[in-house]
Amino acid sequence: MKKFLLSGVALFALTTVANANCPAVTVADMSGVAAGKYPQQFELSEFQDAANCTLEFAENPAIGDLNGQIKGNPDLPPLAERLPEEPLVVAPYASIGKYGGTLDALSNATEAGTSDFLSTRHVNLVRYSDDLATIVPNVARDWSWNEDFTELTFFLRKGHKWSDGQPFTSADVKFWYDNLALDSNVIEKPKDYVLVGGERMQIETPDETTVIFKLPAPKPGLLAHFATHYGQGFQPKHFLGQFHPDINADADSHAQSMGFENGYAAIKAYYGNSDWTDTPTPMLNSPDLLDKLPANTMPTLESHIVIRDTTEGRHYVANPYFHMVDTQGNQLPYISEQDEIYANDQQVRLLKLVNGEADYKTQSLQLSDAPLLLENQEKGDYTIHLKPKIAMHAVSFNVTSEDMEKRKVFGDLRFRKAMSIAINREELNQVAYFGEGKIQQYIGFSPAPDFVDEKWKTFATEYDADGAKSLLDEVGVVDGDGDGFRDLPNGQPLVLNLQFATQGIAGQVVELIGQYWSDVGIKTTVKEVTPDEYRSAQSSNQLDVGLWEKGQPLGIILGNNELWVPPFENYFAHRTGMLWAEWVDSNGEKGVEPPDYVKQLIADINAFQSTPVGTPESDKLGARMVENMVSNLLFIGTALTPDPIYHRNALKNFVEFKTASYEYYRTYPYRAHQWYLDE
Amino acid sequence: MAQFLQFAFTRAVMALVTLLTVSLIVFTLMELVPGTCAERYLAFKNTQGSQISIDDIKAEEKRLGLDRPFLIRWGSWVGNVFFKGEFGDSCILRLNINQLLADKFWISLGICLAALFLSYLIAVPIGIVSASSNSPVTNNTLRFVSYLGLALPNFLLALIIMLFSTVVFGDSLTGLFSKEFRDAAWSWAKFQDFLSRAWLPIFILGWSATAFALQTVRALMLDEIGKLYVTAAAARGVSGSSLLWRYPARHALGPVINSLGFDLNRIFNELPIVALILTLTEAGALLIEALARSNDQQLAGAIIFLLTASIVALNFVTDILLALLDPRVRRGLMG
Repeated sequence: MKKFLLSGVALFALTTVANANCPAVTVADMSGVAAGKYPQQFELSEFQDAANCTLEFAENPAIGDLNGQIKGNPDLPPLAERLPEEPLVVAPYASIGKYGGTLDALSNATEAGTSDFLSTRHVNLVRYSDDLATIVPNVARDWSWNEDFTELTFFLRKGHKWSDGQPFTSADVKFWYDNLALDSNVIEKPKDYVLVGGERMQIETPDETTVIFKLPAPKPGLLAHFATHYGQGFQPKHFLGQFHPDINADADSHAQSMGFENGYAAIKAYYGNSDWTDTPTPMLNSPDLLDKLPANTMPTLESHIVIRDTTEGRHYVANPYFHMVDTQGNQLPYISEQDEIYANDQQVRLLKLVNGEADYKTQSLQLSDAPLLLENQEKGDYTIHLKPKIAMHAVSFNVTSEDMEKRKVFGDLRFRKAMSIAINREELNQVAYFGEGKIQQYIGFSPAPDFVDEKWKTFATEYDADGAKSLLDEVGVVDGDGDGFRDLPNGQPLVLNLQFATQGIAGQVVELIGQYWSDVGIKTTVKEVTPDEYRSAQSSNQLDVGLWEKGQPLGIILGNNELWVPPFENYFAHRTGMLWAEWVDSNGEKGVEPPDYVKQLIADINAFQSTPVGTPESDKLGARMVENMVSNLLFIGTALTPDPIYHRNALKNFVEFKTASYEYYRTYPYRAHQWYLDE
Repeated sequence: MAQFLQFAFTRAVMALVTLLTVSLIVFTLMELVPGTCAERYLAFKNTQGSQISIDDIKAEEKRLGLDRPFLIRWGSWVGNVFFKGEFGDSCILRLNINQLLADKFWISLGICLAALFLSYLIAVPIGIVSASSNSPVTNNTLRFVSYLGLALPNFLLALIIMLFSTVVFGDSLTGLFSKEFRDAAWSWAKFQDFLSRAWLPIFILGWSATAFALQTVRALMLDEIGKLYVTAAAARGVSGSSLLWRYPARHALGPVINSLGFDLNRIFNELPIVALILTLTEAGALLIEALARSNDQQLAGAIIFLLTASIVALNFVTDILLALLDPRVRRGLMG
């Protein structure tokens, strides 16, 4: 009887919000508790000292059931053994949340338009706070730089565990770096952000919770990289290591016993082809092998783990080992499950949003969708915030087109300038952006740092159709056959096929630009394609015109040079000069040699990353980069605009975002782990 | 009997030849899509940081056998399809097509057949009755309804229903399954859930199909009804519905059965648009995605081929049925 009573009490304590003796500190009401070292969050001991209390832990009452749905997970030990010794104590924005519910989301397709939703469960060593200026700890407990930015030390949490209950230690960071990021069997060529000036770092792990990145040259932006990037600086060595020949001598035979070709094939099935965290799991890529596999997906440190993965959508349950608690000791996340469905059609997505069929969305929503969304706010019981975005809609020409005649024309600066001044940006702003945009040329940095000369912001943005026509005449792009449209200098017809995906740019913008170009005699056709097809065509050098948004803040550029080195961004974003990239990649053996200003850009960005920001030397490098980028018009900008952010009113602890942007990794600064559903 | 077997055999061979011809056309169309599968496969390697080069693409084309002559490639494609039931991998999604389509194709076929069945269920009795009815009210009402069915495009009907449902019920009626059944294995409960949603596309597709069939049946009946054998039968004292069903209806329905394959094709053609609007996750939606927006030639080819195969199969079955029912058919064919 006594036991029964006790468990009854325990159940009561678990299902209601735990009323520990600590004050319910929130961002809105700190209850007199002083802020810690970092805003809106505390280390456990820091919090207990500040609030003068002892935190008692409580968990989601459904966590046992949720754990049961994760294939391969053993039964759960008590909560105290699942949390790190020093869990991260998070102050919710408005109130202590309620457990339960399912966060519904819309994405475009597998690996298309999913990053927004991925960011709601994302973790990395550190993150940006919601002021978008302060970097704060996340998975790491803290960090320190040495004086000249050549040694970055992370301090991890003692007792932190993967979603399968295995310990997470410094060895997992080293494993990610040495055995995945730098292993050409996993990722063919190391990404710039794992290198410093093209050279590798050394990772030292003096003990289980200390990781030291030793850099061959200063790179202050490395920390910002971890705060903004989807690539996580750690992977489960105990899990992926069993398939890695450097870790396990029997990796190949072990993988073969499960039906894989070899160990690397198993790593590919679990980890994907890249460090993009949202690649298909074995549930989608090898369903016939599932029965023999130890788990359907690899363990994670994220707030939710995927349990179903099909071409129609994915389903997630809360990670029972997640390392965060609120200020009352309730383990996060509050929301038990997540559900993601794919809808590749913009109109269908809008209809579903208007009906309140998703809880949160911003990726792929364009300013042009705002009127419809705003109009139905009350009926659909949701709220729209219009927030500036960092990247702008931009246009580029394939300066290394397979067609030599087109390559000559696109490579001619006069042509690119003509195309830029042929765009009536004032009208574009009124029609497509409802006058909300701020006209600007693409300058590489967004927002513009102080070292940017004002003149570049408006370079070749004035509307001048006649000027465009005479420039086109100069290039030799004239109407040879009298059909009213200009032809290539060799007499062949010139038709610009404007392929675009709504994930990267709004349809109205593309149609208007196409119309402006037709007005100066350049024939265009407009076709909407899927993001996948757009990226494929771009990768294989098949696009004439690049149409996607573009722009990154200074902080990110310091850690990642891809905006300044051909093809000027990664697979997922806006690229041009694919054959220049091949030349750079092969050290000049293959591809097409880029012009001098591009070589200068590459040299400058590498120097820029190793120079402390704000110094005259750094500003000089930055100014030269902007001048080379803008005066050559490799990318043609339109206007800086806001974008809609959608969330259902039932979603609580949702704070207004500062930007509607990918650049700080979307929701990551705004802590989706402390969202809860109140229905 | 021997004559019948011979007829069936000839028909089967003809169906096979049709299928082969169609596969050649489909394969040729796949080739016309700009870009090759090799390029699309390799594009994804970009995520690994290195650029793909022209050499890489050439090597991949060789690996995929894309450098071989057209007819040989068609032969191996069709061989794999016929003998192994294997359609290869989708260029864009990089997933096995059989796995990708799996029950999606059967769902699509089921929806189309159900729409076809529904339209005949309504059109045949009503068409016959309306042909024999002299009431101007009945005739005009039927005519109005069926013209509406012919004139109103299916996508518009779908949009109207969705809009109505959104405004009145706050549910967009999209998708084929509710959330809890979307990834579940097939079960009775999932099937019921499916039916509770599939009625909408079936209704929409059946709507215009019914109108079309109604007109056909009515016209055929009107042709037959004034003929001498009907008058003779009436003179013998047969009257009312038994006169209708036993004499003119029998003759009128032959051409209707014969056009089953044609009707299925028409319904299937409408499916992708309706599927796109209702966000159905079946083969029709995949087809329009593959054809119009992602240039996925392997996937589009597989779906078109399967679609054609089902139409050819249905035609074969109706031919055999007709031959069983009506000896004139097989004699007519054999000469």
